[in-house]
Amino acid sequence: MTQTNRLPSGGRLDRNRPVTFKYNGTTYSGFEGDTLASALLANGVDVVARSFKYSRPRGIVAAGADEPNAVLQLGATEATQVPNVRATQQELFDGLVAASTNGWPSTDNDLMSYIGKVGGRMMPPGFYYKTFMYPQSLWDTYEKFIRKAAGIGRSPTENDPDIYDHMNHHADVVVVGGGPAGLSAALAAGRAGAQVILADEQAEFGGMLLHSNELINDAPATEWVAAVVAELQTMDNVMLLPRSTVNGYHDHNFVTIHERRTDHLADLAPRGQVRQRMHRIRAGWVVLATGAIERPLVYANNDVPGCMLASAVSTYIKRYAVVPGNELVLMTTNDQGYTAAFDWQDAGRKVVAIVDTRAEPTGACVAQAQQRGLKVIKGSAVIEVKGSKRVSGVLVASIDAAGDRVTGNVQQLACDTVASAGGWSPAVHLACHTGSRPEWREDIQAFVPGKTVQRQLTAGAVHGSYTLRACLEEGIQQGMLAATNAGFGEQIAGQIPVPTVTETAAGPVMTLFHVPHTKPTSRAPKQFVDYQTDVTAAGIEVATREGYESIEHVKRYTAMGFGTDQGKLGNINGMAIAAKSLNKTIPETGTTIFRPNYTPITFGAIAGRHCKELYDPKRYTAMHRWHLAQGAKFEDVGQWKRPWYFPKPGESMQDSLNRECQAVRTSAGILDASTLGKIDIQGRDAREFLGRVYSNAWAKLAVGKCRYGLMCGEDGMVFDDGVTACLAENHFIMTTTTGGAAGVLEWLELYHQTEWPELEVYFNTVTDQWATMTISGPNSRKLLAELTDDIDLSGDSFKFMDWKEGTVAGVPARVFRISFTGELSFEVNVQANYGMYVWERVFEVGAKYNLTPYGTETMHILRAEKGFIIAGQDTDGSVTPIDLGMSWCVANNKPFSYIGKRGMAREDCLKENRKQLVGLKTRDPEVVIPEGAHAVENPNQAAPVPMLGHVTSSYYSACLGHSIAMGFIRGGHDRMGETVYYPQPDGSVIEAEICSPIFLDPKGERQNV
Amino acid sequence: MSEQMLAEQQTLIPVYALMDQLPETEGPRPESPLCHADLASLAEQGSREGGVRLQEQALLGHLVLRGSLQNESFVQGFAQVMGMALPGALESAAAGDASVRWISPDEWLLIVPGKQAFSLEKQLREVMAGHFSIANVSGGQTVLVLAGQDAVNVLKKSTGYDLRDRNFPVGKVVTTTFAKTQAVIRRTGQQEWELVVRRSFADYVWLWLQDASAEYGLTVTA
Repeated sequence: MTQTNRLPSGGRLDRNRPVTFKYNGTTYSGFEGDTLASALLANGVDVVARSFKYSRPRGIVAAGADEPNAVLQLGATEATQVPNVRATQQELFDGLVAASTNGWPSTDNDLMSYIGKVGGRMMPPGFYYKTFMYPQSLWDTYEKFIRKAAGIGRSPTENDPDIYDHMNHHADVVVVGGGPAGLSAALAAGRAGAQVILADEQAEFGGMLLHSNELINDAPATEWVAAVVAELQTMDNVMLLPRSTVNGYHDHNFVTIHERRTDHLADLAPRGQVRQRMHRIRAGWVVLATGAIERPLVYANNDVPGCMLASAVSTYIKRYAVVPGNELVLMTTNDQGYTAAFDWQDAGRKVVAIVDTRAEPTGACVAQAQQRGLKVIKGSAVIEVKGSKRVSGVLVASIDAAGDRVTGNVQQLACDTVASAGGWSPAVHLACHTGSRPEWREDIQAFVPGKTVQRQLTAGAVHGSYTLRACLEEGIQQGMLAATNAGFGEQIAGQIPVPTVTETAAGPVMTLFHVPHTKPTSRAPKQFVDYQTDVTAAGIEVATREGYESIEHVKRYTAMGFGTDQGKLGNINGMAIAAKSLNKTIPETGTTIFRPNYTPITFGAIAGRHCKELYDPKRYTAMHRWHLAQGAKFEDVGQWKRPWYFPKPGESMQDSLNRECQAVRTSAGILDASTLGKIDIQGRDAREFLGRVYSNAWAKLAVGKCRYGLMCGEDGMVFDDGVTACLAENHFIMTTTTGGAAGVLEWLELYHQTEWPELEVYFNTVTDQWATMTISGPNSRKLLAELTDDIDLSGDSFKFMDWKEGTVAGVPARVFRISFTGELSFEVNVQANYGMYVWERVFEVGAKYNLTPYGTETMHILRAEKGFIIAGQDTDGSVTPIDLGMSWCVANNKPFSYIGKRGMAREDCLKENRKQLVGLKTRDPEVVIPEGAHAVENPNQAAPVPMLGHVTSSYYSACLGHSIAMGFIRGGHDRMGETVYYPQPDGSVIEAEICSPIFLDPKGERQNV
Repeated sequence: MSEQMLAEQQTLIPVYALMDQLPETEGPRPESPLCHADLASLAEQGSREGGVRLQEQALLGHLVLRGSLQNESFVQGFAQVMGMALPGALESAAAGDASVRWISPDEWLLIVPGKQAFSLEKQLREVMAGHFSIANVSGGQTVLVLAGQDAVNVLKKSTGYDLRDRNFPVGKVVTTTFAKTQAVIRRTGQQEWELVVRRSFADYVWLWLQDASAEYGLTVTA
């Protein structure tokens, strides 16, 4: 296909590198240096989208981040789909595949448009509220409809094969925007010696200068750009980030930059390369040189393809050598707008007329237009566009000086392109991100960045300084100031001359946002304010008539600025129309503010490398490889991977559990308990400290002894438990639950540092230091005896709740005789580097005892048979030790008190009929009550049925031959032997008898042998 | 030494539990936290020209010292035994095979050859008095050395800390976030950094480092 709109020469293209690409299934050609938008325009593609609400055909309007219509879906394969790509910002590469996201079955022939025409009437402004709020149950349906119709794009259904990552930086000065002001600022700050990061969203630095006709130092502006960039590249202290959008400006001068490193090269990043990188920058000072965005004028049918921004027309002609039409009508409120017509004429195409809304324009441009033989229609406006899929003509009429009404006859002109120049809106977006409200400047009729608490400077057009000279001057000034503020720059103050620029005399600008029509706004053809959300001038007037006076309400009522472009083109026009309709000034009406991100950003860049294997750390014990080799199934406990059970071939999970439980009860089992939190506590006041953080007594625990403790919050509720051993008079080792380890250490430090700093005690985490293996079962003593020759394991010498030091398999060990299974148990702790060695030795001698590895599930069953609680499973932060039936673990006569004592004495904790932990035996021994099931007194009672409490732990016990459960029952401790009922979702009811939670060996004879 | 402290030391009940955690013989085989990655083999096979070099300094002796700088016997005792002073905030010091890192206002991490950990703890306990603690964590963490021209870029992907020369000169130490875990990071050369990471997180850090180094080329050194 020929590029009908491509000029034979010019532009910043590499014509030696033609590329082909596909759009909506058709193959087109372009050149390297094109954007997708410039290539589409070169090929004469007019319609790139169908509108959100009315399904009207839409064309390319802008040339940058402000583009509202050409928001396309990119990707040659399912896995490389990227939604929300502005064609104006996507560089063309060979093989690029793009598609429009709305318009079904195709953008050109849209069935939706018929529905849309009906829907338009059915969807007045406010439909966002009115139509889609009720009934809420239908929201899912609405959402599908809206997404498909609105062309929001879609995410890939396959995994994205590309790499996205994050990188942190610290910089003295971050300059946002690489136009004349930004380049000058970076140069000044760089020469001053500050560490500078300069980021620009375009592929090339230069900003507007890349298509400007202006001269700097009597040479084309691009030569100055090249020289500055070359100098910046030589500076070690300057980092240049092209193709990098500063998308967020956050508190404390934290700046997030989205760099597209390979999006311009291919559909898929070259092997090993990062596709997109999120730079996270802590900046000393930020210089915003973000420029300004041209405002389109609001006139009837201003959305017909062929209606464009004047500056975009210039950009396409000068930078991309594309003239997006044949016959141009330009409407402008200012002198600068004329440039588009001159560029159009220079490109050899016909300028039908320049329609100047000013009655008496005086600038040099007017004379130049006349010299060029261009027809200038003064004091007039394009009030309406003719055409549907492409402009075919315009209606031009004279208007009054205030721009309120049409004053003269209407004439029709034939043309295929309408450029409008309504003045400039500084790109205040980033300044808004940190909460700063833009301020209205009457002299330039625009919002500029308001007061900020950030270390922020502004330079150039964002600051309302639109002339090239002012941009260069302010850039140098503010770059230098930023460097000086950051501690640099004294030495070069005033040493950077401002380049010479020829100023042309500009005449006054007319303030005009909304072009009048011969009909009232509500009757005139649609005058679009926000293309992306199909908000019209009439819609805004309806909003104000309905009583929405706050601009924030108008925004939400109409959905203005809700699109992915955040209303970059339309917002100011919309505010002005609302202000006029409310009979207020623009500053009185105010403005909405923008939020991050400036332009849409991929989820890949947000997630970075925090995905898949790296999504969250996985913590492993020293014996993990062994567990893997044995085919263990794993359970996540916090970040730890713990063996859950060890299935043998052909076993069901319950088979494995039955086998593991029986092995422990009849011979010997072994558990990797390394994940339990371990805190080394040293100091003269260690014992006192323990007494204050545990609910039970610690004063008399002798060296060589262990004790179980319950830890409560201030409210008296249990939050962790574990065994603490007295290693020496001033030295203890505390164990915590696996998941609670970090929290408990913080808790101890918190109380030590804030409440009791006078206590001499230090805490150190030693969780990772010790590999812990629990050998449990009647044969555990015999087994361990084969591995140690220096620990007397006899029951008389090594009693239950004692610990001893010695060697196991030749490795120094601390052995604790504690038991979570109710069996004779020895917990062997060795330095973790030797964990695997000792574990393997244990298995070498363990074979003859049928030593069986067991996982967390068997551990849970075995402890439940004994009625031992698991903090976090049988407790939920609302349970006191008394509720658990563990008053033996509360010592209220300690001299100092302890955390939770007062909490437990609260009225609510003392009241009758609290939920208390009990055992539950099902009437049918085979039935296992689901955990979480709620007990009721009478299953036949009509709803609402009072709930008595819920089941916290429930298993089938192979050793006992029936199911067992623990759970809460109101006043349960006094209801032993009574029956409660657990209604199930399927209508059945499980009947259970309240019993002691200790199902096995209530006297503890097994563990005391 | 106060009378009370003397009394404490004379009593038969041990005040602190001191334990040599290493076996007497060479028989028992130790495994470092990254043993499963078999870095030694990778070092033989891999490329030699990566922008990032990684080495595990396995099985060293790690002692965490807690104490107050107001406690003279703690400060002087350390200097006497180790032949160097306890470093100030964010600093490190080295003497011979031993190096010590400031961790927090009352905490230091001493790293020594693995077999010296016990005897040094013993010596330190003998000369120190009053309120202090020493915890042997040799099995609980490992040392990784990251070097090469792109080492700093790998770190920039991993931590938000300011790594620029002026903020992070050679010898400085910080304990900070590292990806989704934490590390004690010490700059040991213009292009060389030392990470101390916890055993249970070592595999995660290893995965992370391989990934973050991929674009620069990773060379594992023995």
